[in-house]
Amino acid sequence: MDISVLQTLASRNLWGAITPEIMLGCLALLLLVLELLFPKQQHQAVPAAALVGLLCVLSDVLVNFQSAYLGEETFNGLLRHTPGGQIMRVFFLIAAIMVCLLARVSLAKQRMPRVEFYHIVLVVTAAMMLLAQANHLVMLFVALETVTIGLYILVSYYRTSSLTLEAGFKYLVMGALSSSILLFGIVLLYGVAGNPSLPAHTAQSMHYGQLAAFLAANPHNFLASVGIVFVLAGVAFKIGAFPFQIWVPDVYQGAPTPVTAFLAVSSKAVGFTALLALAGTVFASYAWLIAPVLTFFAATTLLFGNLAALTQHNVKRLIGLSGVSHAGFLILGVAAVSRVPMATGAIYFYLFAYLLASFAVFGVMTHLAGPDDADQELDHYAGLSKDHPFLALVLAIGLGSLAGIPPLVGFMGKLFIFIAAFQAGLYGLLAVAILGVVISIYYYFGWIKAAFFETWANSPDAPARPARTPVDFVTGLALGALALSTVILGFYQGPLGAWLTRR
Amino acid sequence: MPDLAQFLFLLFSIFTVLCAVGVVVNKNAVNAAFCLLLCLVGVAGLFVQLDAYLLAFILLLVYAGAVVALFLFIIMLLDVQGRQSFGFSGLTTFAGLMSFALLLTGLGTIAVRGHLDAPRLNRLAADGAHMKLYAYHLFTTYLLPVQIIGFLLLIAMLGVIVLSKKHDGLEDLK
Repeated sequence: MDISVLQTLASRNLWGAITPEIMLGCLALLLLVLELLFPKQQHQAVPAAALVGLLCVLSDVLVNFQSAYLGEETFNGLLRHTPGGQIMRVFFLIAAIMVCLLARVSLAKQRMPRVEFYHIVLVVTAAMMLLAQANHLVMLFVALETVTIGLYILVSYYRTSSLTLEAGFKYLVMGALSSSILLFGIVLLYGVAGNPSLPAHTAQSMHYGQLAAFLAANPHNFLASVGIVFVLAGVAFKIGAFPFQIWVPDVYQGAPTPVTAFLAVSSKAVGFTALLALAGTVFASYAWLIAPVLTFFAATTLLFGNLAALTQHNVKRLIGLSGVSHAGFLILGVAAVSRVPMATGAIYFYLFAYLLASFAVFGVMTHLAGPDDADQELDHYAGLSKDHPFLALVLAIGLGSLAGIPPLVGFMGKLFIFIAAFQAGLYGLLAVAILGVVISIYYYFGWIKAAFFETWANSPDAPARPARTPVDFVTGLALGALALSTVILGFYQGPLGAWLTRR
Repeated sequence: MPDLAQFLFLLFSIFTVLCAVGVVVNKNAVNAAFCLLLCLVGVAGLFVQLDAYLLAFILLLVYAGAVVALFLFIIMLLDVQGRQSFGFSGLTTFAGLMSFALLLTGLGTIAVRGHLDAPRLNRLAADGAHMKLYAYHLFTTYLLPVQIIGFLLLIAMLGVIVLSKKHDGLEDLK
């Protein structure tokens, strides 16, 4: 190969385009160095360093939101920078800040090492941000594997609990299975699109644009459709869509609560950014195939998530299964994307609404959890409104938003998705979704009822519930901000909502 | 009369599949690990036929040579004996049979409908065939994924340390 060709290839690696991710990687390494340098008594400074660093990166992304690279492909087509990618960068950074805040509370109740947790969260967040801009199947897979392997470790972090170890093992096996299905699909697509006997074959058959062009030229290739179904199944594992939701309740229960939040919010959003890019654009010419697949996913996921959550008593399992139903609403949006462009914005809005409400609920859960993190029952919330009116209020606002009660932001998120689905003519799915909302109100309000209207019966044979401690200032501030923005964004979406739904 | 390439392809494929079945069926862990090793050798043979010498070499060197050898060491150190086969419930057997039937249907459909003309190999530029070409690609086009995998390995290493090291005052499960 000629040296000038290589120089051209290397010159397309524009590292400036991924400054936030590079900053996160450096910050993660810095944490390890700080742990070495500081004496053991001052290790609590490390989480603060992680938080300050994350805030700096977030402000950098927000300041450079209209980046010069928007609309361009960098790294020889591996990445493509879009406004959607910028939104998801902000999303993952906010989620990482919240996970670090929750980890501060949760790790204080455990005797595990601290610094590694933050390090892994930062690396995983950087990989998620890159994944949101991926424009190439190699990039998608490498970033997704980095996310998944980081989460294997985080899920089994509290290794002294047998439920946590079980969750880690299950997540490892299911994650490996889903990655191999995804990889098999990618390989099939690569092989078919690179075959010289087919029209529009390409040497760069993992590049989204080239692959889309090939698929448009061969709209009924059998092997390509098998590959597409495998790729969709692999992604469906990550978002916990039915029938790939089997790991969700056990893993969500066993994982440390901050990690459960990370799985529920960020990991799900990762799956949806990948699904939006793939189903919305790359596979668009195979609408005859992906439309029924997505319809099946959406309907069964909505019904399964809501019906299974009805009978749960452990709040982590409950929120996990309700997360499955939220994935159903989002898939409904993805199913509408090909016909209604506004659905993309609706999905981003729903993800943000879900982020705010989920972290409010997870924040309360983390604060109330005892030393045994997996043991969080609905009964433990009895009388919360008397002991902790503030936490009870935050919980009620978060749960109300998750259930989609007007005027909270969750209602607006669902409304935008429903409008998109209505415009796309998905009336059957819309009926299922509304049924799902009605069912979900039952179990969300069961939780609110436990917090507000029940009193803790101190019977001698019942196991004691975890002691209630006062909320520290930083956690209180974060929870208050989440609850407040949930309320305000419900009334007034402002330029953000207009910008999201305009496209 | 099949030519030599086809004969070798069939030979390596059947060898690989039989060894893979051996990994699953064998009750003795050491035998299963040896079957895995032979399976990898078969796959390496298939790679050689595709002119992917580098991949074949890496597979033999890293997987067969290092990873499976490590498996064998660990199995021998832990002295794992063949387990008693645990019984399957009726439902599990039913689900297994259904999955097998689905798998056969899928394979059959792909065999019937998924036919593609084999491309003439010498017309394709094999990026992974030669060390030099491969390295050029790694350090130009795919430099970013290589860097990400560096971080992936770092967190994997950290994870192993966190999840296995003894910490002060931590009571592990027995």
